[in-house]
Amino acid sequence: MKTDDLPLEPFGACLLLSLPEDVIAVIARFVSPRDVCNLSLCCKSLCDLLDSERIWLVQCEVVKVLPLTEIVQWRIEISSYKSLCRFLVDVVKPLVGIWVHQNPELGNVVYVMPGFLSIVGCRIIPQEVGPLGIQEAQVMWSPVFEIVCGLDGSAMFFLHGKDVNHCCCLHPGFVMGIEKSCNALLLEVEPRQEKQLCSESSDIETVLLGEKEVQFPFCKLPFSHRRNLLNIVTSTNGIPLPDLSSSERLFPRSKEDEAVLLERRTMLLKMHKFGGDWNHMNLEDECTNIPNQVDINKLWRHLGFGSDLPNTDSGNQIQGTQKKSFSRYFTSGIKHILGRSSSSKNSSSSSMNKSSSRSETRPWNLQRFLTVGDSIGLSLKASNIKLSSYQGWPNIDETRFALYKLQIKNPVANQEYSGLWGGTFGWPPGKCSEDKPGKALFLLMLSYKESEDGSERLLIGTKILEGTHYGMHPNGSAMFVVKIDSPSFEVFPFDTNGEEFEHSYAGEGTSKGYGFRYPGYKPGTLYVTSKGLLMFVWKATKVVLTLQRLDLGELLRKGMCVSPLPPCLNFVYLTKSHTNVFAPERRRS
Amino acid sequence: MSSNMIMLKSSDGASFEIEEAAARKSKIIANMIEVECVDEDKAIPLQNVTGNILALVIEYCNKHIVDDDDDVATEEASEEEEEAKKKKVDDWEAEFMNSMSLETMFELLLAANYLNIKSLIDLVCQTIANNIKDKTPEEVRKIFSIENDFTPEEEEEIRKENAWAFG
Repeated sequence: MKTDDLPLEPFGACLLLSLPEDVIAVIARFVSPRDVCNLSLCCKSLCDLLDSERIWLVQCEVVKVLPLTEIVQWRIEISSYKSLCRFLVDVVKPLVGIWVHQNPELGNVVYVMPGFLSIVGCRIIPQEVGPLGIQEAQVMWSPVFEIVCGLDGSAMFFLHGKDVNHCCCLHPGFVMGIEKSCNALLLEVEPRQEKQLCSESSDIETVLLGEKEVQFPFCKLPFSHRRNLLNIVTSTNGIPLPDLSSSERLFPRSKEDEAVLLERRTMLLKMHKFGGDWNHMNLEDECTNIPNQVDINKLWRHLGFGSDLPNTDSGNQIQGTQKKSFSRYFTSGIKHILGRSSSSKNSSSSSMNKSSSRSETRPWNLQRFLTVGDSIGLSLKASNIKLSSYQGWPNIDETRFALYKLQIKNPVANQEYSGLWGGTFGWPPGKCSEDKPGKALFLLMLSYKESEDGSERLLIGTKILEGTHYGMHPNGSAMFVVKIDSPSFEVFPFDTNGEEFEHSYAGEGTSKGYGFRYPGYKPGTLYVTSKGLLMFVWKATKVVLTLQRLDLGELLRKGMCVSPLPPCLNFVYLTKSHTNVFAPERRRS
Repeated sequence: MSSNMIMLKSSDGASFEIEEAAARKSKIIANMIEVECVDEDKAIPLQNVTGNILALVIEYCNKHIVDDDDDVATEEASEEEEEAKKKKVDDWEAEFMNSMSLETMFELLLAANYLNIKSLIDLVCQTIANNIKDKTPEEVRKIFSIENDFTPEEEEEIRKENAWAFG
């Protein structure tokens, strides 16, 4: 706007522009980041006015996923509060929460929570808790993945895993889009294309091929192809974690952690930019090589399809120009791949050969998938997919490399028991006999539902994790169902241990039934104490399941980090199992 | 409670009499009273507030002084009574804000900011925010009579930059 035509200026913009920044910041508190962006689209002066640290700090608070102290702490390593807000809106808000999978039946619970300029997915291992109870227990967890925030608020993905030499590795990849209402977290392989920015420069820019350009998306490939591709990529792009104190520190535990966390963050940024050579580089260095991906020609042979990807003669899907770019890229691509440990490659290719016989007969779709790029890399996608559920538990497709979000409701008036609860069998809580030093940890999701005939309200305790040695009931089945509107007159059968009992509801608890899939139910009572404990007591056996509210973030922060499974299994365990596949002692042998 | 009266004088010379308790809603005036620089028979001059706006400020303060008094007296009031009272205040505030033009609203906001009346700042900001919330840039431009001085290319560029907020 020119100053000389000020009198003609429409008064509205002027009105907003006349407000001091303090007041604009108050207005900003009542609107969303989307509204602020819309407002900056109105005219240039508003755009300038709203490009302020003050306003975007407020917006970071408005997103309500991170406390103010951490917002301020995170700002140190990011270009602006606006960039930080982008990460909070784009990544943190949609992904924070509890993600699950059906297998193993003991429970597969991944809690995604803020780390340090990142979010981390932590798997809670099925385990026993010590004699002091859950609050004092050092809960075992293993890292599943991390998404780290770049300087500009962009997102970088890392899958955690263990290689064949039992060394913990990080597998860098790309975040391929997170839908705001996502309910499935998909581990995929994405084709990419490299472009030389200009002929003199050695800079290479990786172009991610979005869904538009990919003619045949990963999710439509047959399971064996998807599994093979993921195995190939993860067996070649793993970067061993150095033996540093910072390697395990995924989120802050105390104020003094900042230096350690900053060191780790720098390491991750370098790994993402330079791949396996990260340790010899500075973040400011230019990247001359394309890290963390697998060359497609190389891959083609890996899969057992002859020596080279078929050229234009054998398929008109491949155009001449693409063929040229394959050969141009081939040399630098193979150089990079050979840099990785050869032992891991051998083992993966041998397993590949077994399964390739079937896919060999129909390589056409795989070829269509691969021909759009020069190389492939790991990617993470968070989508909203059609998902049916039973009693709050998703019906899970067991051929997808996906975790599913558990829709855990916060307690509200009239539904005050909603949410996540944890506990163990036994009464009083936190005490156990000498011959049994540990008790299996249970995690339950409590939710409300109308009964089938609509006449009463039910409170359902869905089991999402059990720390026993062998799963007796399916993952995601109800441990108890009580009628929340019908009080029980049963008296609590034990000493009250100083607890005051406020409510009791009649219901049924799970028991042995017709095989694993069909547990039976026997009568019982749910008691509520004034201190907020829930106890379900089976009437006939007098077995007590005692539950309390849990803050998973808090528990994990003081918990114990154990090493992950091999990368693909670590993301999702697709094989049916009734035993504890995550237990650290099992994996050491 | 004392019903000391205080005189306020607007920038255009109009004088207003207001209860001290109501005037204390303004942190600035409250501070002046604390340090006793208020002369009993002299009006406090408010350089940045015109008479018509000051009248609105006083209307707001008078309305809310009553409520604050009630807070203490009705601590034992039932939840329903409390809710009913809150609704009455909300309705009054909605009506109060509805009755003025956008221009007046902004003048009132500047006055509230100058006099440091936090609850009034919040009320006006919330009302302005409601005119921004969930609206397209076109709608916002219309409400606030803003002229678009972006070229389509520039607008597209900003949209792209902020794509994350829209998805």
